[in-house]
Amino acid sequence: MSERIKLKEYILNNPGLKYILFGGKGGLGKTTLSAATAYWLAQQGKRVVVFSTDPQASLTDIFEKTIFGKGEVELARNLFALEIDADKRIAAYQEEIRGKIKKMHGLEQVPEEIEEYIRSAAAEPAMAESATFDAMVELMSGGQFDYYIFDMMPHGHAIRFLSMAEILDTWVDKIVETRKKADEYGDVATVLSGKGGLAQEDEMVNELSFIRSRLSFVSNMIRDKEHTAFFYVLIPESMPIMDTKKALEMFQAFNIPLSGVVVNQVYPVELLKDPTVPIYLKNRIKMQQKYLDTIWGEFGTLIRAIVPMFDREPKGLDMISKISKIIF
Amino acid sequence: MTEEKNQKEEKKESEVKKAVKGLVYGMAMHGMVTYALKTRMHLENLFMLITMGDMLGVPILPPYYSLRLLPYSVPHVKTWKRTLLRERDVTDTIF
Repeated sequence: MSERIKLKEYILNNPGLKYILFGGKGGLGKTTLSAATAYWLAQQGKRVVVFSTDPQASLTDIFEKTIFGKGEVELARNLFALEIDADKRIAAYQEEIRGKIKKMHGLEQVPEEIEEYIRSAAAEPAMAESATFDAMVELMSGGQFDYYIFDMMPHGHAIRFLSMAEILDTWVDKIVETRKKADEYGDVATVLSGKGGLAQEDEMVNELSFIRSRLSFVSNMIRDKEHTAFFYVLIPESMPIMDTKKALEMFQAFNIPLSGVVVNQVYPVELLKDPTVPIYLKNRIKMQQKYLDTIWGEFGTLIRAIVPMFDREPKGLDMISKISKIIF
Repeated sequence: MTEEKNQKEEKKESEVKKAVKGLVYGMAMHGMVTYALKTRMHLENLFMLITMGDMLGVPILPPYYSLRLLPYSVPHVKTWKRTLLRERDVTDTIF
């Protein structure tokens, strides 16, 4: 068995690293760890952005500053945070599409039927996910930062979100193919009948290849071990352990390498020796220790960090700095 | 007077040309053109189904990306829906 590499070493050993993702169940401290990692990297003089893809605005809470829907907010030197307002983004996007339709077809008003579709499409639950996804890719392809830290949405979503790229990629291939074939037949008809051709076709294929480029960017990114690290956050309790095991399997199925796990919210074991500590808490510590053994057995060398439970909520830059000192 | 005559003759000639062209087209090309256009229509319908399918309850492409393609498909939406949702009978196979 190879030796366990800690989070700091992992980052230092992989100088090509650019994208760091934190996944895991809700409420286990993904945001805290993302923030702490970003903070440490910023301290090393890197330009870092931390982006929350979780619809429940948690960066705003943790940094105690309104970040939600404000674009890239600078929190400290080199440290930026971004939390997109998916609803706002969708509304702007809808408006853009309406404008395009009106302009392209010289219409005063978007036809009723089409308008209905635009409105119903926005109500789709997947819409917010896609909008976040799109914002994520946009940010990454901007290339303004040295490191991009992603605080991913809870488990199920995150995997779906990432695997969506692959599935769609195949579909877009098919779409482009039918489009091209349709064009060919159209061209044949045009030549034979000597009538004018159809414009806009090239633009449509362009649009499709744009969608493709967005999708393949992500599917390439998550498989690129040199530039991307995916960490899974768990706590010493049975459900998160099971969840992480399941995630590991899913990751393997999608051929996504997992860079490691981070164990969070661990009560200091020394408390067991302290006679003033109530039995209530001691039981909890014992339970955690039992699950920690399971975690060591399951994930062993994959454990990148063990983060203690703090006596207060990890909030504000001071607290984040304290946590980052413990991890790094 | 002669100019008028010339013009008339020219008109006649061009009409003959048009008729010949039409005849040749009808005999040789029309079938092929119809076939090409029909195939194109089928592919177009398939394309619409994949991209705008959720309009009729067939969600394939996430709506976020369908919307990007929507402006280009606006002129086809009506005919596509009609083709897909119309009733079918035996005569469909003939035409």
